[in-house]
This record gives sequence, C-alpha cells and structure tokens, in this order.
Amino acid sequence: MYKTEVRGPLILGDKNYRQISSDIIAPIDQPIPTWWKAVFGVSMLATLIGVIAIYKTVSEGIGTWGVNNSVGWGWEIINFVWWIGIGHAGTAFSIFLLILRQKWRTSINRAAEAMTVVAVGCAALFPALHMGRVWLAFFIFPYPNTRGSLWVNFNSPLFWDFIAISAYLLISASFWYFGMVPDFATIRDKTTSKIKKAVYGFFAFGWTGSSREWLRYEALSYVLGGIAAVLVVSVHSIVSTDFAVSVIPGWHTTVFPPYFVVGAIFSGFAMVMTLMIIIRKIYKFQDYVTDSHLNAIAKILIFISLIMGTAYSTEIFMAWYSGSQYEMFTFFKNRITGDYTFQFWAMVVCNAFIPQLFWFKKVRQNLTIAFIISLLINVGMWYERFNILITSLSKDYLPSSWVTYSPTWVEIGIYIGTLGMFVAGVLLFFKYIPMIAISEVKSILKVTSLNKNEKTNASHE
Amino acid sequence: MNKNHIIGVFDDEDTLMAALIEAKGKGFKIGEVYTPYPVHEVIEAMGHKTRFTLAAFIYGFLGAAGVLAFMYYTAVIDWPVNYGGKPTNAFPSFIVVTIVITILTVTLASLFTFSWRAKIYPGKAYILPDVRSTDDKFVLIFDKSELAKGEGNIESILRSKGAVEVYEKELEPQI
Repeated sequence: MYKTEVRGPLILGDKNYRQISSDIIAPIDQPIPTWWKAVFGVSMLATLIGVIAIYKTVSEGIGTWGVNNSVGWGWEIINFVWWIGIGHAGTAFSIFLLILRQKWRTSINRAAEAMTVVAVGCAALFPALHMGRVWLAFFIFPYPNTRGSLWVNFNSPLFWDFIAISAYLLISASFWYFGMVPDFATIRDKTTSKIKKAVYGFFAFGWTGSSREWLRYEALSYVLGGIAAVLVVSVHSIVSTDFAVSVIPGWHTTVFPPYFVVGAIFSGFAMVMTLMIIIRKIYKFQDYVTDSHLNAIAKILIFISLIMGTAYSTEIFMAWYSGSQYEMFTFFKNRITGDYTFQFWAMVVCNAFIPQLFWFKKVRQNLTIAFIISLLINVGMWYERFNILITSLSKDYLPSSWVTYSPTWVEIGIYIGTLGMFVAGVLLFFKYIPMIAISEVKSILKVTSLNKNEKTNASHE
Repeated sequence: MNKNHIIGVFDDEDTLMAALIEAKGKGFKIGEVYTPYPVHEVIEAMGHKTRFTLAAFIYGFLGAAGVLAFMYYTAVIDWPVNYGGKPTNAFPSFIVVTIVITILTVTLASLFTFSWRAKIYPGKAYILPDVRSTDDKFVLIFDKSELAKGEGNIESILRSKGAVEVYEKELEPQI
C-alpha cells in the first residue's frame, strides 16, 4: 500500500486510547447544556406545528393542500425527495468510504449515519401522507388479502420506491446500530452511574471485544458494506424513476437516475459538512474532526458540483437537440425564462456556481464561509426538486389545464414539522450516543496521529 | 475463591502481540484476547476463521430466487393483470424489487447470523475479565487448568514482554 502526505494526521493532539474514550463520551456524562434545551424546545415547537398540520391532513384529506389536478405533486414530493437526498450521506460516507478503505471516514461516519436514519424517517412520512387515507397504507404490502387476492403492481416505480425507502431505512438503521455496539460497551464499562450502566449495558448486547467477536464483527461490516454499497446508487435511481418513467416534459429523460444519485450525495455531503462544523464547534472535537477532514469534504463537494453543472447543461442541451417543442418550452420558456426564472437560477447558482468557491484554499479553511456554502447547497437542492416538479407539472401539453401552484399552511406546516423532527433527532443523538465511532478512531490512532510514541507520523494511504 | 485464570494486561497492541507470539510459541494455550478495537494480527494469531462471506452469498442467492419466484407466482400465476398489453412476466421490471429485497435479506440474515455466532444479543450474560479492555487496555487470558507447564513461567513471559499487570482471577458471567 502506498503512502502519501495528502491528508495530514487525522487525530490531532497527543492522544492516547483512554483520552479518546473520555473525550467522546464526555457529552453523555455532562449535564444537559442550556443551548441544547433551548434548541430542543424550538424543535419540539416546530414538530408540534407539523403534528397539527398532519392532523388536519389526515382528518380532512388532501383537499387541505394546494395540489390540484395539474400539479398533483406539490411540496410533499419536493420535500420527500429533498430528505431522501440528505439521507444519502450515511451510506455514501460509511459504506463507500469503508470499502474504499478511506480512514478519514472514522470520525464522521457515525454522525452521517445518524443523520441518514433521521432524514429517511422524515422522508418516509410524506409518501405515507400523500396516500390520502393513511390508515389504508398497509395495502401496499404484497400479502394474501381478501381483495382477490389482488397483488400490488410490481412494475410500478411507486411500489419500487416504497420497497427502496423501507429497505434503506431498515438497513441504514441496523448498520448504524451494530457500529455502535462496541462503543456502548465502552460506556457501560466506564460510567459510574448505575442507570447508565444498566441502559448502555442492555444496548451493548453483552459485547466484550474478544477476538472471536471482532473477527465476526469485521466480517459483518465488510459483507454489509459490500452489499449495501449498491443502495447508494439504487435508492435515488428508483426515486428518479417515479419521474423518468412518466411522459411529462422535463421528466422523461434517461439522465435522471445518475443525476438524482449525484444530487443526493451532493446534498448529503453538504448536510454532513453543516453538522460536522456544528459538532466540532460546540463539542470541541477539533482534534478528531480536523481541518483536513472538512477539507476533504469540501473537495468532494467541488467535484460533485461540477457534475451537477454538467447534468443541468445536459438537460438543456437535450431539450434543444431532441427537437421536441414541449421539452423546449419547459426548459427555455418555463425554467430559464418565464414564471419560474428565480427558482431555476437559484438552483444553478447554489449548486453549480457557489460550491466552486471551494477551489480557493482560503474559502475551504474559513469555516464560517464553508458553513454558509454547505447550507446554500441544500437550499439549491430544494429548488432543484421544486424546478423538476412544479415547472413540469404546472404547464404541460394542454394550455387549458395550466395552473399556478402555491402551498397552503398545512403543507408548509408538515415541512416545518419534519425540520423540527430532524433537529430533535440530531440533538438526541448529540446527547445520548457517542458522536464519533470510538473503536474505529482508536484503530487509526497508530497510523495517523501526532502521538509521541509513534515511529512515523506518515498519513494514511 | 478459586482463582482459575491468569490475566495479562498490556498497554499497547505491539507488546500484546509480542507476548501472544511468545506464549503461543512455547506451547501455552491462549484462552482469549480482549482488545478495544479490532487488531488483525491478533485475530490471525488466534487462528479463528469465519465463513461469513459464504453465508452471506447463500442468503443473497436464496433471497433473489425467493423474490423472483414470489413475483412470478403473484403476477403470472395467481392473478395476472393486463397492463396495456404488456407481458405478465415483466422480467426486466421485476429486477428492481429483486435487487433491493436481496440486499435487505442479506443484511438482516447476516445480522442475525452475527448475533448467533458471535453471541451478541440483548440480555446476554457476558464474561469480561478486565473492564478496562473496552477502553484502553489489551488483555490476554489463560485458563489455569489448560496450562501444561507452571503458572510462574507464563507470568514471567508476560512480564518480560511488557505486561503492565499480571494477576489471577475467577471469571464469572455478568449481566
């Protein structure tokens, strides 16, 4: 294996194993800080707004939304796709980087996976509510029933979507959980509180760290890593077929699956950057989430941003090159110019242009600017989904059915609710779960740290 | 109390490995090794093998075959529906569901296999010789009844290879 100095040490400070455990467990042992309570309160308030909006939707029906015959998919599907995109970071980080043996993932994967589980949970809410009669949602399970038995349509992308999202949620949650088992055992054995010992002991499943356990643990993580890597590509490809398989102008293109996958990884990485900057600032994890970690994420974002720009240009080129007047109209008269000019250019500027600022070292090193850019990317990604859905649906083939669409407070309320749920979920993660994979960070201490006992400070491959 | 195990505590994976190789070379049977993180040399030296990948392949194969068979049964045999004149056995569009469910089967079945083989499950009574081994210590244990030669001998080997502590203890499962 060749070694380069590209990344620099991944653990700063003169750490030993004991310090790593203590540093990472510290937030769990400390009393709950005031800012945490305040933000949690606000997120609960937002969740409450969501609950009210959901109650309104379920009790009165989809009529409380702004969707209509032409724009049948509104904010709900925009937000569904947006959350699923954010939820791509977990698999991209932990699994792609695991099989590529990138050691810098060890400080970040836990948080990325936590974010994934919460974001996918938020996303799953939208299609369920969009069914209208959510109490009949079980109809989508293919089980022998008294309606025939009439089975589900296995050819429908909407069914694929249901399978993809539920499988993704289950798999990322279990992958995340089994990664935490050794760390729960560390907390169990280190804590002095009897309650914590009992609770974390229960969740540690009797882990001891014997060589037999590690052998199977490693085997399991590589098997899951190898097989679940497919999910990084498959989940959002399947989401894109919801659109690409239809015959709506602007949707019916073969570029959709890769374009969606790259967009999802883009927004996921941006959200990871947002979260890691917050974690390292608040919990003083600068020694574990180093500048070189953030630098690596920023460089990936530049690259993905270039792909996004290419995808946007490809779509526009194909609209012209295809000679289809409907495609031409959608792209040139309803996106680049026309009623949705702002949303189109917000998407292009936020996703294709602004991340290019990361080419400058000064921008990558200035965490305030990096934080703002990472947020802007997710704003841009929201506008991307808005563009895809609303511009295509509001003006399709028949001018007599052209409409404008604006969301009602119920739709906005559900979105605010999911934002609240996401923040609350992330805060609970900050407080009760080790934010960095303790055992994984320990395993790279020898190869990549400023530890004085080390023969070499060479970085990893 | 019947102190039936000898426990060697190390600060570092290198000293642990040196002691492990030395003890193994002199014919002592090593009970178990506890480390805070996976150390590949230790796993290799202990001679453990796993057929996990084979098991995962079998799960995947059975999962894929099962899902395809299920879709064929429901869509072709049990209740064929004519979607715009397309064939009922719409094989290419069955692939998507097959891939996802195969991944799900492999994941869940592998997790249960792991839980069963590594004996990691809720409420398990576990044996942890030294609680510091999940934090920063590397622990080597020997069962006294299985040591052919004298115990004093093994203690001196462990100490000479850099053990920070060597002591005797009775191991009891705890919950």
